Amino acid sequence: MLKNLVTGLKTTLNREIKRMLSRPIYFICTVLTMSFCYVFFLTFFNEGQPNKMPIAVVDMDHSSLSRQITRNLEATQQAEIIMHLNSHKEAREELQRGNIYGFMEIKRGFSKEIISNRRPMLNFYVNDAYLIAGSLLNKDLMYMSAATSIGVQQKILRAKGMEENRIMGILQPIAIDTHLIGNAWANYGTYLLNVILPGILQLMVMLITVFAIGVEFKERTAHDWIGSTGNKMFPALTGKLLPYTIVFTTLGIIGNLLLYSYMRYPLNTSIGWMFVSTFLLVVASQSLGILFIGITPVLRDGVTIAGFFGMLGVSFAGSAFPIEQMPYPTRIFSDLFPMRHYFNIYVNQALNGMNVRYSLISILALVSFSILPFFVYNRLRNAAIRQNYPVK
Amino acid sequence: MTLKQKRKQRTIISLLNDILAVMWAEFRTMFKDRGVVIMLVLAPLVYPVLYGLIYKNETLTKVPVAAVDCSESQTSRELLRHLDATQSVQIAYRFNSLEEAKKAFNNKLVHGVVYIPADFAKKLNYGDQTTVSIYCDISSFMYYRIINQACTNCILDMNKRIQLDRLNANGIAGEEAEIIANPVQYSGTALYNEGAGFASFLLPALLIIILQQTLFLGIGMITGTSREENRFHELVSTTVHRGKILRVIIGKSVCYFALYGVWSFFMLGVIPHVFDLPHIGITADLILFIIPFLLSVIFFSMTVSVFLPNRETGMVLFLSFSLVLLFISGFSWPPSNIHWFWKTFAWIFPSTSGVQGYLKINTMAGTLRTVSQEYISLWIQTGLYFMTTFITYRWQIKRISNKLALESEPVLS
Repeated sequence: MLKNLVTGLKTTLNREIKRMLSRPIYFICTVLTMSFCYVFFLTFFNEGQPNKMPIAVVDMDHSSLSRQITRNLEATQQAEIIMHLNSHKEAREELQRGNIYGFMEIKRGFSKEIISNRRPMLNFYVNDAYLIAGSLLNKDLMYMSAATSIGVQQKILRAKGMEENRIMGILQPIAIDTHLIGNAWANYGTYLLNVILPGILQLMVMLITVFAIGVEFKERTAHDWIGSTGNKMFPALTGKLLPYTIVFTTLGIIGNLLLYSYMRYPLNTSIGWMFVSTFLLVVASQSLGILFIGITPVLRDGVTIAGFFGMLGVSFAGSAFPIEQMPYPTRIFSDLFPMRHYFNIYVNQALNGMNVRYSLISILALVSFSILPFFVYNRLRNAAIRQNYPVK
Repeated sequence: MTLKQKRKQRTIISLLNDILAVMWAEFRTMFKDRGVVIMLVLAPLVYPVLYGLIYKNETLTKVPVAAVDCSESQTSRELLRHLDATQSVQIAYRFNSLEEAKKAFNNKLVHGVVYIPADFAKKLNYGDQTTVSIYCDISSFMYYRIINQACTNCILDMNKRIQLDRLNANGIAGEEAEIIANPVQYSGTALYNEGAGFASFLLPALLIIILQQTLFLGIGMITGTSREENRFHELVSTTVHRGKILRVIIGKSVCYFALYGVWSFFMLGVIPHVFDLPHIGITADLILFIIPFLLSVIFFSMTVSVFLPNRETGMVLFLSFSLVLLFISGFSWPPSNIHWFWKTFAWIFPSTSGVQGYLKINTMAGTLRTVSQEYISLWIQTGLYFMTTFITYRWQIKRISNKLALESEPVLS
């Protein structure tokens, strides 16, 4: 019995490896796609935060103070003045063209109004259609405006002969000290890549699982496939999918190493936990793939379902927009996606370095996906033996 | 009418007839095929609605945070009260130590902690500077931004009042104190996305990507299928094209264009209204802009589809690429900071100019003149990919006629 199982497994394994090598699609969709995505996303977000983003200054005051403000703006990390414009209209047009993402406007008579105590207004504009650029520049421009105000305050209070230590207490009675839990600095890559790269991995796993099985039905080789194990589904399925489990887990682990060892993204736990969850993600996605092709043993439909589900998985991780703040049905729906549970483990372990028991439920959820193939076990077996499904 | 004119007229009629014939043939194959219907009809209908629903809540509200108030003074209580009253944050728990707060954070009960030190009120009374610490969950960028913003605003407000008190205490009062507390007023205006909405930021770009990718994958599916079904794995059945490549290409593209004209109206005209996304663009400019976008996508897809051996290959190979296209279009990481290599690479795909142009017209109220760069590049792509389509189709058809010629030759034994 056991011996039969092992021989069956070996036969399918050999058969599958030969198939993998005979068609370029397997290599392209595993090694090539993942490598390209690693290179693309890691070089794309290499900077961590977009620095020196183009802004403009509309200086209609031409005073020493307005020049001082301009110099201060140049010194900020995230903004770079690439234009000096003469009117609000011009600046707005440049903003619409996307040449700048924000501008500071210093009105005519600005410094004179300060001297005559008329409390002038300093206006700045950012383009929040580019939300990342807009909100980062907003922070910088706000900070520089506040600094300008404080600078003037300081001057007035000094002129009044107030002691330096009292001045500090007046300028900013309460200071804020913001800590980012787990992530030492707001690195944009950390937010995105920890979801996008595993997200692409699970999408590819689902697609390839469906493809590898579905193509046997389509090309009417399913009979040969299951026949090689004496019509036993278990060794046939295991032998078929094991090579992909190994390939994708390896690729996923390379991804983990790139993120945590090479890019040094926050990792407050042993990297082993991320390896384990990557492996679980791969197996859970394979199980879903089996379910899809089991529901409809037609390759084209299986691929469509897998693609649809895999793409949604990236949104349902809830990294960009938190799940808790989505509409209620969405929150329940999100549990159906392995990415959601993977993301939970990542947040608990890698980001927050919490005790593993907090992630236990997510680990169990990922493991429980492997029950899914049993629902379509017989259906898939019958379909393979009889080959009675339409090929198109 | 001279003979020459008559002949000319006849050629035009036959040309139109051929184009119409190809178009109807294409429509028929499209709607007979369940997979193609899913890709070209169902997906453009379902995806925008689904994403619209998922991201319906533009921004975070009432994010639960924990307060650790070691000062337990009137001022600290006031600060927390103000914070609790904001739209974005609510104080869900109060703890006596950071340890307890951390436990609540680990159990995902709160997404941030506000820590007020024991000497908070004392320092304020003495006229010194004191510090409030904020700890933010950064599993999502949104948590960090919203908590930080709410706390900063509340504390800035409080600072202003304390400043006035202190100036009064130093014998500066009335208008003079007001002036010193606020010698320069400043105001920041976030344009084109009021309230920094997440859906308003993501969806416009995503809609363009969905338009391109469903069309691309759909065309790939159609081409892959005809390749599988025909005798010599050819792209177009020989009876229809009769060797006239141009008619085949135009006939097919008119068919795709008609369908996607409707989808463009639905996605870019209806969806933004339904989900209250930005839509302040000039309709005429938007229509004029979408024309070269659709055309370049159609010809680009027709060119690439020639190389797809099977109907499912396109989907398996290129679906994940949608995510690359989304980011490379420069809607989130600003285009100014994208490496020149990826910028050049991005130019291959119509979606890059498509996303930028659509954002500028639809979201930022730009005109066709504003997006002249994107507009011109889309027309260049249209021309370029039309030529590549022509070349690849001709190459395919030549291959077929060679095979046919070979077959018709008598086999010598």
